[in-house]
Amino acid sequence: MPEQWRDGPTEKRQAYFLVAPAMAMLLLVTAYPVCEAAWLSLHRFILVFHDWRFLGIQNYRFLLSDERFWTALANTGYFTLVAVSLELVMGLGFALVLNASFRGRAAVRASVLIPWAIPTVISAKAWAWFFDAGGPGSRLLLNPDASWLGTPGYAMHAAILVDVWKTTPFVAVLLLAGLQAIPRDVYEAAEVDGASWWRVFRSVTLPMLGPMIAVALLFRTLDAFRVFDAIYVLTEGGPANTTETVSIYAYKTLMRAGDFGYGSSLAIAIFLAALGISLGYVKVLGRVLGAAR
Amino acid sequence: MEIGAEALPNASDVAHQYFLTALEGGAVDFDVLVLDVIWTREFARAGWIADLSFAVGPELLRQEFFAAAAESAIVDGKVFAVPWYVDVGLLYYRRDLVPDPPRSYRELEQDALVAKSADARLQGYLWQGKQYEGLVCNVFEAIWGHGGSAWSDGRLHLQTSEAVAALAYLRSLLTGGISPASVNSAAEEESRRAFQNGRAVFMRNWPYAFSEFQHPDSPVRDRVGFAALPTRDGAYGQGTLGGWNLALNARSPPRNQLAAVQLIEHLTSAPANLLLAGAYGRNSPRPALYRDPTLAEAAPQMPALLPILSAARPRPPTAYYNLVSDVLQSEFSAAIAGVRTPETALGRAQQHIDRIVGQHA
Repeated sequence: MPEQWRDGPTEKRQAYFLVAPAMAMLLLVTAYPVCEAAWLSLHRFILVFHDWRFLGIQNYRFLLSDERFWTALANTGYFTLVAVSLELVMGLGFALVLNASFRGRAAVRASVLIPWAIPTVISAKAWAWFFDAGGPGSRLLLNPDASWLGTPGYAMHAAILVDVWKTTPFVAVLLLAGLQAIPRDVYEAAEVDGASWWRVFRSVTLPMLGPMIAVALLFRTLDAFRVFDAIYVLTEGGPANTTETVSIYAYKTLMRAGDFGYGSSLAIAIFLAALGISLGYVKVLGRVLGAAR
Repeated sequence: MEIGAEALPNASDVAHQYFLTALEGGAVDFDVLVLDVIWTREFARAGWIADLSFAVGPELLRQEFFAAAAESAIVDGKVFAVPWYVDVGLLYYRRDLVPDPPRSYRELEQDALVAKSADARLQGYLWQGKQYEGLVCNVFEAIWGHGGSAWSDGRLHLQTSEAVAALAYLRSLLTGGISPASVNSAAEEESRRAFQNGRAVFMRNWPYAFSEFQHPDSPVRDRVGFAALPTRDGAYGQGTLGGWNLALNARSPPRNQLAAVQLIEHLTSAPANLLLAGAYGRNSPRPALYRDPTLAEAAPQMPALLPILSAARPRPPTAYYNLVSDVLQSEFSAAIAGVRTPETALGRAQQHIDRIVGQHA
């Protein structure tokens, strides 16, 4: 290794110097708003009336007993768990199919991405027509006069379906990239050993895909946890708040009702939950990556 | 003088959000603004719109405009806006199926059942049951229709026998098959489209729907009538007042203010009202115009709205309306969808609203 590439004190200082602008930018756009929201969350602050009073942790105490928050959190958790599981399983299936060589593969690969490419608001509006009373979706229900979006229980699953439809391609493409990074000779060796398809999948493909699966899960879990646009277009959180997620509750409190104090407490709660999820995944990811090396 | 126009988002709550950010940020790029009747009090209290009493006194407003519209613009005895056009909840009925509009809930139910027995595919009564602002209007109309009043002494009172009866009645429409299950997810346009396709006997909606029904290619053209909403005991029904007011940005620079006030006066004048009615189907907020032959010529259905608009009632006149409505939307939806009993839903709503408003009333 040439001498000038080694880390010396000068290089280290230079490195800090070089990343400093990026760090400053990052602090400005992430740390500052988070701190500002944390500060707001300690106040009663109804924006329009300049009604500003320090409350300490009262907002958080109310949050702990706020049934609507816990319902929203449970809705969000259910949505995330079901949607991300389905996306992972189906995305993996698609990735395996797209990785095989067949005629017209390029066209199929491109077309799979279409749901991902359509802006969520537009596709959600189209799905709303599908689920509406008299639409094709309502014929799948017991009562053809009913609408998925107006029936508690069904509305949430309609939202999950839309999310799965939209983001399975994203998971598939990520996993496809992972599949293509697996060296061919590993498969050839397995073939020589006479391993069955299932055995190859379980002992070669899955472990070597592990890091990519973890990355896909991290992205999707965080995205699903913050879900807003699709559900907002479909139901605005109704009926009876059965599709209200934490983001929608925070949005309504902040932007529609103008209650910036309690709205900020909700936002901080979401931030802490998302932080917890990321830290958990980073830990798992570190272990998976360590095992793969 | 030059006037620039800026388009607002067509969803009312998104328009509200636009004003919230613009006016809180001290925007001066517009002098005159159009606001929903339910925001006027909030904007006045926030100090975002100017007192116009020097140009339009409260007595004049009460004399010339529908009572509910005038009250929406008067805050603490001062005029903060001028009504531009108004809306009211109506009962639409199919004249070919029902000779006379029902006056009471019982009559509506019977008429719906009779029409349904002749044609099983017909639906009875469509209204707006989705969790959104329209649901709040529908529920208040039912509360008033049961003889209740949710607002007194500057406070919202939800835990009344009339409110319980109103929610139970709306729920029973769904469970009893008078209203289809789709009402649970219907806003104005969903109900209007179904009714226009000839699928239902009755519908609650705003006046705009009528001109849609009269389109040349509408399946129900010339077969739809409208009337005041029915009530429990057959008294004349009171629909929710909707509509838009014009106001002056409180930060509008002094050199623009005079012209801005003149613009408001011009846009809300009787001739402008007539023009809006004829060309865009907007209902004038001035009762006197409904007897004007030019109005009947420009919009033949409009004179019949006079008694219905005169009886229109405002939603609770609180500066915290958006906060209150957010709570009402979730709890009313829970009662309509059968997730909670009316008593529980109303109790929860009252508790939340008291927390928000109580400390400030």
